Amino acid sequence: MKTPTPMVQDLIDAIGEQAVVWHDDDLLVYEYDGTIDRGNPDVIALPANTDDVVNLIKIANRYDAPVTPRGAGTGLSGGALAVKGGVIIGMNRMRNILHVDPENKTALVQPGVVNLDLGAEAERHGLAYAPDPSSQRACTIGGNVAENAGGPHTLAWGTTTNHVLALELVTADGEVQWIGHETRDEPGYDLVGCVVGSEGTVGIVTQVLVRLVPRPTAVRTMLAVYDSVRQASNAVSAVVASGIVPAALEMIDKMTIAAVEPVLNTGFPLDAEAVLLVEVDGPESQVEAEGARVEGILNRFEPREVRSATDPEEREHLWAGRKGAIGALGQIMPNYYLLDGVVPRTKLPDVLDGVYEIAERYRLPVANMFHAGDGNLHPCLLFDELEPGATERVLDAGGEIMRLCVDAGGAITGEHGVGLEKRDYLPWIFTEADMDTMKSLRAAFGPTENFNPCKIFPKGHGCGEAGHQHAQHQIAKFGPKAFV
Amino acid sequence: MADAEAAGASEIETLFDDVDTDTARLQRYEVDRRTPRAAIRADTIAHVEDVQTQAMSQDLAVVPVGGRTMLDLGMPPNRYDLALDLTGLNRVVEYEPDDFTITVEAGMTLADLQRLLAVNGQFLPLDHPRFERATLGGICAVGRGGLRRNSFGGPRDWLIGMRMVKADGTPVKGGGRVVKNVSGYDLPKLFAGSLGTLGIIVELTFKLRPHPASDQIVALNAPSFEAALGAAHAAAQAAPFLNGCVVLSPDAAADARGLGAKILHDQPSLLLRANGLESAASEVLSQALAAVRQSGLDGPERTTSAIVETWQAVADLELQTDNRHVRLRVGLPPGNLGNAQQILSQQLPEASSWIAAADSGLMFLEIPSIDAETIDRLRRQLGPLQARLTVETAPTELKETINVWGPAGPGARLMHNIKREFDPQSLLNPGRYVDGI
Repeated sequence: MKTPTPMVQDLIDAIGEQAVVWHDDDLLVYEYDGTIDRGNPDVIALPANTDDVVNLIKIANRYDAPVTPRGAGTGLSGGALAVKGGVIIGMNRMRNILHVDPENKTALVQPGVVNLDLGAEAERHGLAYAPDPSSQRACTIGGNVAENAGGPHTLAWGTTTNHVLALELVTADGEVQWIGHETRDEPGYDLVGCVVGSEGTVGIVTQVLVRLVPRPTAVRTMLAVYDSVRQASNAVSAVVASGIVPAALEMIDKMTIAAVEPVLNTGFPLDAEAVLLVEVDGPESQVEAEGARVEGILNRFEPREVRSATDPEEREHLWAGRKGAIGALGQIMPNYYLLDGVVPRTKLPDVLDGVYEIAERYRLPVANMFHAGDGNLHPCLLFDELEPGATERVLDAGGEIMRLCVDAGGAITGEHGVGLEKRDYLPWIFTEADMDTMKSLRAAFGPTENFNPCKIFPKGHGCGEAGHQHAQHQIAKFGPKAFV
Repeated sequence: MADAEAAGASEIETLFDDVDTDTARLQRYEVDRRTPRAAIRADTIAHVEDVQTQAMSQDLAVVPVGGRTMLDLGMPPNRYDLALDLTGLNRVVEYEPDDFTITVEAGMTLADLQRLLAVNGQFLPLDHPRFERATLGGICAVGRGGLRRNSFGGPRDWLIGMRMVKADGTPVKGGGRVVKNVSGYDLPKLFAGSLGTLGIIVELTFKLRPHPASDQIVALNAPSFEAALGAAHAAAQAAPFLNGCVVLSPDAAADARGLGAKILHDQPSLLLRANGLESAASEVLSQALAAVRQSGLDGPERTTSAIVETWQAVADLELQTDNRHVRLRVGLPPGNLGNAQQILSQQLPEASSWIAAADSGLMFLEIPSIDAETIDRLRRQLGPLQARLTVETAPTELKETINVWGPAGPGARLMHNIKREFDPQSLLNPGRYVDGI
């Protein structure tokens, strides 16, 4: 029988035995997130309220233990992995929607609220919560805030940072403070803008005041099937250039179709090369006119077929292939490595060609499913981690794809975060001085060195340098300087 | 005193090649009756770096200057050695219209940018007073949304990348040139709204919007400002996709008419704006107007094709107050506008010029004068309505006795920490921002 360490005992004393996970078997669940990296926490603490969070952070500080905040563990950059061990503070028990104000279009929620549940609550008031990551059935608002999560519908509405008005934050020294204001008129620096997207490296968010948006009176979803990715991406460019701002503009390719079709019966032809999903919303008359224009543009690029739906159930069916894409990839290979590069929209066709070329060169199947309207690519490299050398090949190909995005004037991550996974690549887009400036912002939030350590910034003591040899190899191969 | 200043000027002259110490010309950089010892007009980013390197090593307090439309915003500077004029930095760095993004230097005016974008049917959705003069760097440094912030947000929501020169002259950047990006901390958000206290903003990248196919505006008279406000609130609730929803008092309407909003009468007025495809804009406007009618306003609807001029005239009112008078800005949840207006009109019976954006929860009013006690009382009374009151314009002697920003919120500790990290010697706009920052 394992006995609790003094720190674990203190955590138990603070929030109760039921809320602390420390037996080896139980810890296993918390070693993973959505990436291929792993981290081994010493203990998981599950606070019920802000005071608990304060106490937990203070206990961890007393033992000089690293603190890693965690939501649903659906993250795609290793942000919630306890790389240096220590305490994971899991926010899942704080899952209440505290208040909805339909008149002023705001909602006050706890960080453990699931994204889709907030959406459903907003809908009861005739409103919507715009950011809708594909993991929205599981991912939490706290995690969305940490990563500045996006989703298909952020093309028109912007990402999480455009929808958070104020936050209650517990900083690394255990101080609680509200930052921001319902009206964005709180005088002073945009602290909310600094915290959203800081990947849990400056504190733990314990309440979030979000902005809700009006629900469109009409929505039309169109799906077009193409015989080449080029045609589909040219259609994307044409829609963007037309001056219409669709609510969503998404693409999936042949490999993705092959994965989703048998599972979800979406009716996609298996020999098609690409499927585009375009959604327009707004007042009835706008949707009608814009829908017709979008359909006209889609038809210019010789689609095999164009389907269109306005009724919610049919629209859901059209979306099923996109939203279920990641989950279905297991049909093809046991593991996937999901990238998140983002490029200027005019560069999309060339960069996509490059992605296929790289995948082929590394002998890796690649499935693409992504936010084409934003230029945000999600190539999914498929592999079997049991095959010797496969993981290394995947990481190499991934590095090369990221570099391709950077060289096209883009960035290494559009919505998943830098986290553990991409931190070694940050010098491709930022100079030492840029990163030092970011670190000085982090320092302003208190003693943050032990707060979600080994994330965002390259290097760092005890962050498993050996595991990052592949990244170092990539960086050496392409040279450190890129679009800096 | 004059001798000391003269000595200061000549000392500065030896530090920089291109410094202007002409007393008459320095007047244009005056901030709350403080005139700098010298001014430098930078024309490249490298130039800004050199100036800051020198300023830091010589411990010179710097005020970054753009179009000087809001140079008086904030507390009087507690030191002011050098005006760093950035209007020479006005080039386009990169513009690929089909990407719907643009990168420009910070000294470009909003009007110049809009003209450039209009050629390609695009625009940057920011309302800002005096946009012919206001520079993008200045607009971002002030960082506030305008009368249409409910639809458009503020500069923070359109900025996707930024280059800055730090207090010590180091050039840095944040963000990038893509519309969606979470690589590294969001430094552009930190700098937007930092009032030039953290570094010199030198280059900006924005995402853009296509021009709507149709833009429509309707004005109505109301029996009273309160009635107009009630109708506007009803309109904003009934038609959430309205692009703008503004109410003006008779004085404000008259001033706006003088500035080009010919559609307005010298009456309490309601101004509604909708855009999108023509049918959609009409649909939104008719939803809004139905709510207006239901709330009891029955005057005729007037419309105009001079939409940009009309709207800009109203936006320009924000800067019509000269600094012998006082202009207040109140931001609050839209649902509390009516109650806040009641409190303000009771406490400030002399206020005559009122503008309120009913969908955005924003109100501006002008008064001949005010004292510190009244401001404190107002802030206390408005507090429960979640309102924030800023003194935008006021005579210098009044500003020296009040806190124009209001009490610092709970985030003040973090703000001071950030200021210390970025500008440890407190040389950039010293003392002008929140809580003495």
